[in-house]
Amino acid sequence: MPRSIWNGTVTFGMVNVPVKLYSAVESKTVHFHEVHLKDGARVEHRRVCAKEEKVVAYEEIVKGYEVSAGRYVVLEAGEVKAAAGDRGKVIHLREFVETAEIDPAFYESTYYVGSRDDRDVYRLLFDALRKTGRAGIGRFSFHDREYLAVIRAGDDLLLLHTLRFHDELVAGSDLEIDLRGRKLSLREVKMAGQLVETLAGRFQPDRYEDEYRAAVLDLISRKAKGEEIDLIAQEEPEHGDDLAAALEGSLAGMRR
Amino acid sequence: MPRALWSGSLSFGLVNVPVQIVSATRDLDYHFHQLHEKDKARIEQRRYCSKEDSEIGWEEVGHGYELRGKQVVLSDEELASVQPRKTRTIDIDEFVDLTDVDPIYFEHSYYLVPAGDSEGTLRAYRLLVEVMAGQERAALGRFVMRTKEYLAAVRAREGALTLTTMRFHDEVRPSKDVGTGGKKPSKRQLEVAVAIVNELSTDWQPDRYEDCYRTRLRAVIDAKRKRRTIEVPPQEKEPLPVPDLMAALQESIEALKRGEDPRATARTGAGRPGRTRTASDGSARRKPSRAKKTRR
Repeated sequence: MPRSIWNGTVTFGMVNVPVKLYSAVESKTVHFHEVHLKDGARVEHRRVCAKEEKVVAYEEIVKGYEVSAGRYVVLEAGEVKAAAGDRGKVIHLREFVETAEIDPAFYESTYYVGSRDDRDVYRLLFDALRKTGRAGIGRFSFHDREYLAVIRAGDDLLLLHTLRFHDELVAGSDLEIDLRGRKLSLREVKMAGQLVETLAGRFQPDRYEDEYRAAVLDLISRKAKGEEIDLIAQEEPEHGDDLAAALEGSLAGMRR
Repeated sequence: MPRALWSGSLSFGLVNVPVQIVSATRDLDYHFHQLHEKDKARIEQRRYCSKEDSEIGWEEVGHGYELRGKQVVLSDEELASVQPRKTRTIDIDEFVDLTDVDPIYFEHSYYLVPAGDSEGTLRAYRLLVEVMAGQERAALGRFVMRTKEYLAAVRAREGALTLTTMRFHDEVRPSKDVGTGGKKPSKRQLEVAVAIVNELSTDWQPDRYEDCYRTRLRAVIDAKRKRRTIEVPPQEKEPLPVPDLMAALQESIEALKRGEDPRATARTGAGRPGRTRTASDGSARRKPSRAKKTRR
């Protein structure tokens, strides 16, 4: 297991649970570095002062918030810290909600919550959340920023998810989707329902591989062998206007 | 309406619904610019060739990958050639129970909005919303946006289709080495812990939680603008583990039943081992608290 990224205490009631957090996810996207096509040399990003047209050292750079065009309020690192609040290394769980009520759009990042010692209190919180099917809501400070967090019981350990704040989510009604028009026929709704049933399955995450990642890695090795790379054109799908016919065709195809 | 990030079609059996992807989240953070301290001029990130030591344009930049100690360079066009052919569709493979999908898989949420206003498009879109709204099901499919392939869950929410991108299974780290503490709690401990959770239970009402960080950062910016001194608030001390778990549980549930905040009591009670207690606090538990503390 990689190093923990945060050490602190989770509380519920008067009970304190010393914990460590670990990232639960790591991106496997193939990352490239930038190179100069002409000579294959690494590309460096340098910080240039727009006024002096000169490269500037990192120590000479400050954070500025633009209050009006070209006017900045400069904040020092310690001043940004002041916004993180006073919670430090503590997450107080003061409210417990049904996990299923939280819409997927709220979830941001996930961390594994580990016990910092072999006290029984970690298992107690785990079992209590497991038994009630509830998750504790708290606030979590990390890297000078405060997050809304939820702690829940996974299969065999506690997980912490940071959550987006309600005003960060766009409401469906903001989209102005025109849902009026000719009523859907009962037959269409029924057929679409059948199509969903035909395609119903159990979520098995390991059935899905990142084929694009595999293709990129394959491309790299072909190129390394000096192969000529085919530049294929993309195709556009067609969409028919006869909904009922398309549904019928799909169902027929499934049954075959 | 938010800007479209992708357009193509959602394909489900032989039904193709032309859609656009727009973000379901908005960025409300305060963003800062890097400034040169001396003259408060903006800092620009520019690309330099490390060999020639000269500035180059982005069109001169390729993608380098280190393969067994050898550098392989790909152009934008070569990289684009491996994008899956049906890059303009979201292909629905199957429908799964949303409750079976662990939130660990969720990455970013978007809305799918109908592209164009043809009758056929709108009908097909409405049909999907209607069929999916009644179920706790999500349609799983894959698509490519920019240069990445995504696994995505499509659902109906608030009269629209939403799409949540998901992590691939091998991006979820194994958790077997994460410590999960000591032994199972006793039946009595669990009973009281469950009672505490139930006592503190509430409906999920997201609008009750405001982003205080954002508010405080705004206050810091305003204070600095008015040249007021900004003080970093003292950080709350990390509480130590309670010496007597059962006692802490019991006191917590009693405080909650009285409608009090157990942490307020905890400042002098079981939550802070080694501190002096008030007379009413039942001082019998003082000794073990000291003993535990010295053992740390």
